[in-house]
Amino acid sequence: MTEGANQKTTAEEAVEVALEVNGTVTKVLVPSRWLLSDVLRHRLGLTATHVGCEQGVCGACTVLIDGVPTRSCLLFAKAAEGLAITTLEGVLDDPALQALQEAFHRHHALQCGFCTPGMLLTALAMVRQQVPAEPETIREYLSGNLCRCTGYQYIVEAVAEVLQAVDRGDPAGSPALP
Amino acid sequence: MEHSRPQWTGARVARVEDARLLSGRARYLDDLPLPGCLEVAFVRSPHAHARIRRIDPRLALAMPGVVAIWTFSDCPVRLLQSGVYPVGQPALADGEVRYVGEPVVAVFAADRYLAEDAAEAVEVDYEPLPAYVDLAAIVEHPDWAVHPPVDNRYVHREYATEGFDQAFAQAPHHLRVRFRTRRQTAVTLEPRGAAAVFDPASERLTFYASTQSPHRMRGDLAKFLGLPDHRVRVVVPEVGGGFGMKANTYPEDILVAWAALKLGRPVRWVSDRMESLLADAHARDDIHDVEVAFDGEGRIWAVADHLMADGGAYPGYPFSGAVGETGLAAQVLTGPYQIPHLKTTIDCVFSHKTPLGAYRGVWGPIASFVQEGIVDRVARAVGKDPAEVRRLQLIDQFPYRNPAGLVYDPGSYRDSMELALKAIDYDRWRDEQRRGWREGRYLGIGISVFVEPSAMAASESGSIPYEAATLRMEPSGKVTASLGLGPTGQGHETTMAQLIADALGIAVEDVVVLHGDTDSAPLGGGTGGSRSATIGGGAALTAAERLGEKVRRVAAHLLEADFEDVVLAQGQAYVRGVPSRALPLAEVARIAYTDVARLGPELEPGLEVTARYRPPLPMTFSNGTHVAVVEVDIETGLVKVLRYAVVNDCGTLINPQIVEGQIVGGVAQGVGSAFLEELAYSEDGQLTTTTLLDYRLPEATDVPPVEIQHLTTPSASLGGMKGMGEGSLIAAPAALVGAVNDALAPLEVWFSEIPITPEAIVRAVRRRAEAPR
Amino acid sequence: MKPAPFVYHRPRTVEEAVALLGLPACKVLAGGQSLVPLMNFRLSRPRHLVDINWLPGLDGVEWDPDQGRLRLGALVRHQVLATHPLVRRHLPVLAEAAGHIGHWAIRSRGTLGGSLAHADPAAELPAAMVALGARFCLRSQSGERWVDAGEFFQGLFTTVLAEDELLTAVEVSVDQSARWGFYEIARRVGDFALAGAYARRRGGVIDLTWFGVGPKPFTVELQAGEAEAALEQVLQTAAEDVAARQWAKVAAMRALQRAGR
Repeated sequence: MTEGANQKTTAEEAVEVALEVNGTVTKVLVPSRWLLSDVLRHRLGLTATHVGCEQGVCGACTVLIDGVPTRSCLLFAKAAEGLAITTLEGVLDDPALQALQEAFHRHHALQCGFCTPGMLLTALAMVRQQVPAEPETIREYLSGNLCRCTGYQYIVEAVAEVLQAVDRGDPAGSPALP
Repeated sequence: MEHSRPQWTGARVARVEDARLLSGRARYLDDLPLPGCLEVAFVRSPHAHARIRRIDPRLALAMPGVVAIWTFSDCPVRLLQSGVYPVGQPALADGEVRYVGEPVVAVFAADRYLAEDAAEAVEVDYEPLPAYVDLAAIVEHPDWAVHPPVDNRYVHREYATEGFDQAFAQAPHHLRVRFRTRRQTAVTLEPRGAAAVFDPASERLTFYASTQSPHRMRGDLAKFLGLPDHRVRVVVPEVGGGFGMKANTYPEDILVAWAALKLGRPVRWVSDRMESLLADAHARDDIHDVEVAFDGEGRIWAVADHLMADGGAYPGYPFSGAVGETGLAAQVLTGPYQIPHLKTTIDCVFSHKTPLGAYRGVWGPIASFVQEGIVDRVARAVGKDPAEVRRLQLIDQFPYRNPAGLVYDPGSYRDSMELALKAIDYDRWRDEQRRGWREGRYLGIGISVFVEPSAMAASESGSIPYEAATLRMEPSGKVTASLGLGPTGQGHETTMAQLIADALGIAVEDVVVLHGDTDSAPLGGGTGGSRSATIGGGAALTAAERLGEKVRRVAAHLLEADFEDVVLAQGQAYVRGVPSRALPLAEVARIAYTDVARLGPELEPGLEVTARYRPPLPMTFSNGTHVAVVEVDIETGLVKVLRYAVVNDCGTLINPQIVEGQIVGGVAQGVGSAFLEELAYSEDGQLTTTTLLDYRLPEATDVPPVEIQHLTTPSASLGGMKGMGEGSLIAAPAALVGAVNDALAPLEVWFSEIPITPEAIVRAVRRRAEAPR
Repeated sequence: MKPAPFVYHRPRTVEEAVALLGLPACKVLAGGQSLVPLMNFRLSRPRHLVDINWLPGLDGVEWDPDQGRLRLGALVRHQVLATHPLVRRHLPVLAEAAGHIGHWAIRSRGTLGGSLAHADPAAELPAAMVALGARFCLRSQSGERWVDAGEFFQGLFTTVLAEDELLTAVEVSVDQSARWGFYEIARRVGDFALAGAYARRRGGVIDLTWFGVGPKPFTVELQAGEAEAALEQVLQTAAEDVAARQWAKVAAMRALQRAGR
């Protein structure tokens, strides 16, 4: 963790925050009001978590908290102490995530890519919960993650394909990206 | 030059961009590590119109982490496009604020939290003044002026075909409709932003921009900062969506660059969502007062339209969205129909609202909404099926000169409609609809036959009528390509590589496409107006052909063959008909760079070319048809899209999968345009939709699956491509609105305003139910 | 959009928590799905934030078979409410309604107590509690009191919860003879309701409870058979305009339909 030269004049008291991110506990010194999304991105360098609205609507900042999709822009880092936080960086070796990446790639389920990490984490939680592979159900589960480019169709198809594989009991670990 | 059959062009090549995006390793503007960077927060106007009596930053300056606080005098720049518009927006408000959200004061601090604390503490004393907000009223009040003494109607144009009045008067039937499109905006998921770093070593400014037009941005910065352009480098990192909105240069861009120079530290500003809804370019705030003359068959003889657009407080820089929307809408108003006579009057006015800029399709979604609305109204008036009335007048002779003087290149207008109707099973839905009406179920079918002028020599993003590409075959035989495009998710690294790979007989993975860096790319217009595949693709092809020629000359020399006989394929140069006489490109390239003695005196060492491509026509027209089937719940006013079919013709498809991605994405935005999205202003000019809860984007559950088919009528451009980035959003709102109107036909309800809200449907249905029979 | 500074507190007992509520400009942080956006906007700027997420015993779902009563802790997340077997068995209408709150990521964090204390007139849960005749346990340093849901909600974002009180639990007595229906009209999945209603049918008596209509949830009792005509009359005063009245009526009729015969 690097502190920029820009911290010197901060009068507001920074507090120690011990965050369990991707299985490792890291301590950072930040004011209590810092959002988890900002601490992940600007203190821990985990920039796969994107910030699209800070209004709790767009889902770009989705992380998994104790395995469940959660908005990191609506959680103070200090309040996240003691929770198990997972970002996209933390699941890159997960076979289910790799199956999703591969399906997203093949189905053209991303364009600008800004919503993609949030989409993938939501989809990963769906795979882990074995959500039924029906398009309507998938759309419902993904409805909290906005995408402005794709129109969702190919995301739904990609997620459906992986969910079907899970249904069939296929090992969700086809080779990752080229 | 002989080509082997294209191996990559036309194939569903999965994108080379994806790996970094899917692993969270892409770097967007806010992800760039810039040590010591200052963050900016703006004090924005809370008033639609007010005089600034006093600004007192003293309290704020004393706050922790604050480095500087600026007002207009610290950065006295106006974004004026002189000779085109009468006024330009100041980088920070100069004595008067003219819209809610206008930047007034810039606060530079150690981080965004501290910057926002200080921005709150800046005292600004405003004297509120009357605000002009309602477009229709502004047009009716020429005495209202946002920039006195400048004429508030800053653009006025009139046009009529010869013989219009006579044709119009002689037609047996007439009708009038007012079409209204409410304000909308692009809402890229990645908000707008900029960062700047001055490098004392090279005495150059590096400007990181989330923009569609890197070179234009460089030119603008050089101009407003008073720097020579070789001292400015624009770098575009990953961009999270643009949709036209990121084609402008904004006051915040100038501020960030100026501050990095003056404060001697890196500076970054990233818009938050409230700022983006307030201060990104708005779009679509238009009224069309239309009169139509037609006969009993449903043939349209003449259309007159008074086009009005609310341009906001200043013209967007370097172009006003209001002018773009009306100017081109007036030229494509008759769409794909053979309507002989047209009369248009354009009025663009200033208001106390956010400036209008571009949003995907610009004029197109509005023109299509009007043109398809006209045809549907005429069909209803003469009691005919809307498809039948379209068949009467779809264009089928090419080139076709429309009544505004635009010349359409060949397309598949009739075929696209027939195919789309077949795809949706039109007749069956008509039966279903009649059955539904008897049971109180309201199904509707909407048809939208669209024309998409694309690849314009001068579009909103580029004022230059060409694109450029630099291609270098490296000593390894692999290729590095550099283009001046500004992709924001369209997959140019893949599609350009496909074109280049085919031209050089190599694999896509042997080509790396760079873009968005003015240091590496030749000057280009950028991405916008659906120009990249056609003009950028033409540049890539031209450069690849010339590079191929160089490679073949070297190979011919080494193989002791005739240049004409040397063919490039499968990573080799070989002599036609004698496959055994071949050299791997890696060998050719190695020799061209490092073993130059073998080249002989006449061949130049190295394998690098820069080529520019100007398309043969001022624009090329994509076309197609969208058909939507909807069900309207007349009790709640909610609309569900049941089926959606698209037939699209954009000439040669470089990558059908990417084209389909563009189509589905545009249809989704069309759902937003037709039913969900509105930037609503109160009477006193407050924007009331400043969150994504209020400005509703379509969710996964709002968008139907889209069934797509392609037709291909190639353009005259190199490669035969036509632009297609906007067509789906051009066509979709018209199809969806048409479907709702079609569903409600038995109730004689008609909507000519978008978005159509549940409230509007409920009110209209109730009004109808309560009306005396 | 960054929140103003505050002091963060994480009490470990309810006693400790209610003691902290005496601090000036203090706010309780539960799921934060409504509060944190307001803080990001700086529309809410507490000086002290008391995070109750770590208080023990507040996230329980318990069924008391003797009393026929479901007890729900204030920290029960919406997603738990929507999926918990006990809720689905004894109060399926509540589980259904909870599934309509926001989106998955919102439901995974948002809490029952937070939603009730926030008292958004267009939210699902306050009206559910009124419809179900729930009562709330409010704790303060001076002890606890129980308040009926019908009295708890006072108006727009206003409740009887005192500044030093914490809502800790909800109790619902389950009437096995009642049939329930729920219907919500919203523009998109996860949006706040244009109108929503709960219908309870007990013999010939119908109780309708609305949300998204007026400043707080309210219930009207009707006789079966007169429902539609009576509704028009009732809603004349409740909803200000034609569309809002229509939505309220349609939500009620459809909820009623779902309650069965």
